[in-house]
Amino acid sequence: MAEKYVGQSIRRNEDPRLLTGNSTFIDDINLAGMLHIAIKRSDFAHAKINKIDVEKAKALPGVVAVYTAEDLGDYWRPGPLQVPPPSVIKGAVFFARPLECIAKNKIRFSGEPVAVVVAESRYIAEDALDLIELDVEPLPYVGDLEKSLDPGAALVHEDLESNLAADVVQEDGSWEKAAAEADVIVKKRILVNRLAGAAMENRGLVANWDANLSLLTIWATTQGPIPMRNSIAKYLGLLENQVRLINPSIGGGFGPKIMSSQIDDVVIPWIAMKLKRPVKWIEDRRENFLGTTSERDQLHYAEIALKKDGTILGFKDVFYHNTGAYNPYGMTVPLNTQTHTVSNYHIPNFYTRIKMVFTNQMVVTPVRGAGRPQGVFVMERMIDAAAKELGMDPVELRRKNLLQPEAFPLRTGIIGQDFVEGILDSGNYPYALEKTVEGIEYEKFKKEIQPKARAEGKYKGIGVVMFTEGTAVGPYEGCKVMVGVTGKVSVITAYSNQGQAHYTTFAQVAADNLGVKVTDVDVVTGDSGQWSWGVGAFASRGITLVGTAIHNASLKVREKALNLASKLLETPVEELELEDGVVRIADMPEKSISLGELAMRSNPTRGTVEPGMEPGLEAASYYGPPHGVTGFGCLGMIVDVDPETGKIKIEKLVITDDCGQPVNPMVVDGQLHGGLQMGIGDGFYEHLVYDDYGQLLTASFMDYLFPQATDMPAKTEIIHSITKTSLNPLGIKGVGEAGAIAPPACMMQAFEDAVGLKDMFISESILNPSKLYHYIQKAKGA
Amino acid sequence: MKIEGTHVFNGPREDVWEMFYDPNILASALPGAQKMEMVNENEYKFDMNVRVGPVSGAFSGEMQLENVVKPDSLTLKGGGKGAPGFLNGLGNVKFKEQEDGTTLMEYEGEVNIGGALASVGQRMIDSVAKSMIRTGFETLDKALAARLAAKEAGSAVVDFKAPTEAQFAKEVAKDLVKENVSSAETKLVFYIIPVIAVIILFSVLVKSCGG
Repeated sequence: MAEKYVGQSIRRNEDPRLLTGNSTFIDDINLAGMLHIAIKRSDFAHAKINKIDVEKAKALPGVVAVYTAEDLGDYWRPGPLQVPPPSVIKGAVFFARPLECIAKNKIRFSGEPVAVVVAESRYIAEDALDLIELDVEPLPYVGDLEKSLDPGAALVHEDLESNLAADVVQEDGSWEKAAAEADVIVKKRILVNRLAGAAMENRGLVANWDANLSLLTIWATTQGPIPMRNSIAKYLGLLENQVRLINPSIGGGFGPKIMSSQIDDVVIPWIAMKLKRPVKWIEDRRENFLGTTSERDQLHYAEIALKKDGTILGFKDVFYHNTGAYNPYGMTVPLNTQTHTVSNYHIPNFYTRIKMVFTNQMVVTPVRGAGRPQGVFVMERMIDAAAKELGMDPVELRRKNLLQPEAFPLRTGIIGQDFVEGILDSGNYPYALEKTVEGIEYEKFKKEIQPKARAEGKYKGIGVVMFTEGTAVGPYEGCKVMVGVTGKVSVITAYSNQGQAHYTTFAQVAADNLGVKVTDVDVVTGDSGQWSWGVGAFASRGITLVGTAIHNASLKVREKALNLASKLLETPVEELELEDGVVRIADMPEKSISLGELAMRSNPTRGTVEPGMEPGLEAASYYGPPHGVTGFGCLGMIVDVDPETGKIKIEKLVITDDCGQPVNPMVVDGQLHGGLQMGIGDGFYEHLVYDDYGQLLTASFMDYLFPQATDMPAKTEIIHSITKTSLNPLGIKGVGEAGAIAPPACMMQAFEDAVGLKDMFISESILNPSKLYHYIQKAKGA
Repeated sequence: MKIEGTHVFNGPREDVWEMFYDPNILASALPGAQKMEMVNENEYKFDMNVRVGPVSGAFSGEMQLENVVKPDSLTLKGGGKGAPGFLNGLGNVKFKEQEDGTTLMEYEGEVNIGGALASVGQRMIDSVAKSMIRTGFETLDKALAARLAAKEAGSAVVDFKAPTEAQFAKEVAKDLVKENVSSAETKLVFYIIPVIAVIILFSVLVKSCGG
């Protein structure tokens, strides 16, 4: 039997076409007679619309049409909500205010679309934007998370009594009891910053209406092609199959591209049908910053209750979550925060409350990490604060309270983003901690390296933090697997690919079950014309859900192939083997039939067939887990802070990550590298800043910083821990967000350790050289 | 953005007050201004062009003077908008007679800007504001001196030429370079300055002009 592909670091099937520039991205799509769209966005953060005058813009030669909300008539509507409210949580309050595709009576954030220009070229369309006159009455800006709930605060949605968007309390055990029994209670106010998805490629949409075939073809950079197609079809009064939604190659998603019911998917297809011309919209970078959703931005009031010996008795966390001007994505992000706050440690009593607030800022929806980093940040910071209070080593305090391997599966008592109680299915947290501590040489650093560095006037610090990554939530994904007459295998799914290596990992799963070369498996993603069912790329769920569906479907195809071969070779199935694209009689290898031949024979063109016969070597399968599976890990870092400039150098990084059975460890490493870079950005570089009037000050890469290659750790070590889940046949868990979760918590611990101030506590999730410099000055004076 | 400060004008309070009430002075001292006219008592309208780098387009607005206590104090309210964004300001200005015959102007106010002006230019403003205000006042000092000279000579013609947009930008750039702005930022400064010049000078003038 040939070696299995699953578990092998084979090269990626998609790389040759990507690396040679032969992939088609959204802006590569050009159709005859195509018109171009530019979107007029509001400069005001909060204002009542009196009038939008588009006459001058319409008169510009080359402009074909200009539309505002008024022109959409009854077609204009808010939403629908993309994620439903958390009705399963008792006492939860949620005021649904779905996105308005284009502002109608009121503007609620700077960057909100107010008009659309359609022109013969993008240049003309952009020029026309300047001719649109907006007559508005500015309203007070709401931006501060706490003040937004003040009785006199201006209202983002006047039909509500306040800016409260949701209020959700979950409690497991009793915080009161924990507090009463505690020797020590540490309280902190912790701020989590806001960052952008900032994919390399912005969003875009091309629509073409074929009136002859009654077929609307859409190319879109969405992470959720099927829900977007269904929504477009519904509101345009078309059948689902009259809308074909295709993902071209996509240059990164990171969450914001999951959003629908926005101006692009609501208004642009409508324009294509109205004008009977193909239309294209490509988002520019400034629009992306202003108008595409982003995330984080929470304010926590956290308390941890402990015994003198470091045993954690309970945790309380009341936090404000900024949802921006609308809350189309339900409670996904703050629920992830709740579930991830207590996922690493034994915490018998946990009280957590979300106060979600509306503000005049860009809407908040998941960005890689999606609430997880906030939960982990708060817990890890609180453990660091408690360790200082108790005079304990932070690693020792973690070690003492970690969940042990025999604790799994563990019901958490906290309902998560998939509306079921969280179940931590499996894990070996102490292993992850010890491997990282060993890899980063924690003891040696503390005892030898750091004292020596300090003596030389250097500021080196170490951080070690734990994290979990809830992955692979429902509801479901599906696929179709088919053997062609060439003997090659086709795997078709409507999952969306933004660079996650699905063309390779999906192929590995199918190739193993069908005995073919991985390069002979062709994977189709994100084309509703080829496969019609699915949900979308979020929550690190692709390989687990689609991979499992492919596993199951390819086993069905295998069975069909073997049954047919059994008839043709007149041999029982048990005596057959499938390998190298051929079914053979095990002890008479010269008697065989190829998969291609079997595919041909399974689809007769004359004669008769048996009742109930299904043509082709083809099968579909769907997979929906009862709950998600939880990956986990431990991150360690050594940083060197330059006392003169406050700049940092990450000298060494060790991450132990467990995503169950890795399908392709090299691809897992890639996900971890990318995630870590994003997480490091989150802790020191990437920061969306609004001014006191709701203007985004960081709307270009001049002001919004990324960590560069040179900012990445000098040494990175990835340790794979493998704790297979029993929830799916391959034992796999997701890994897409793992790297992005823990860096801010790890960096703050390392910065505190480097500065060495006794009472120092970094209460925010992002620092910069200036702040670090001031800490060091303080330390020097101390 | 909050702005506050003081400036001493080398002339009597009545003359300073009069100068600020002359829209021609304001228009000529405001780079890019196309038009500034008094539409009503204490109400002005203006049009100006901003055409620089990534931020360009026409800008129009109006301002009102309130709580006018001649020649002592007033409140200015104003705003404008156009393709590059919008600007709103509110300022309180006081003129105090000094014993040496000069006039002390105290001003404090708040200016808020939006759109491309904010997301592309705003982060530059704090660092240039000081310099812009200084240059703006120098211009007004010269204008006042010219008016006083004309008054003394009994001439109706005031010999005052406002600095051009380019001269203005150059002065600010020089100040900035002195402040050790890194080279990349300096380059940026050269194309953003004219925008900022318009905003700051305008806001300063808005505050003082009402006078």
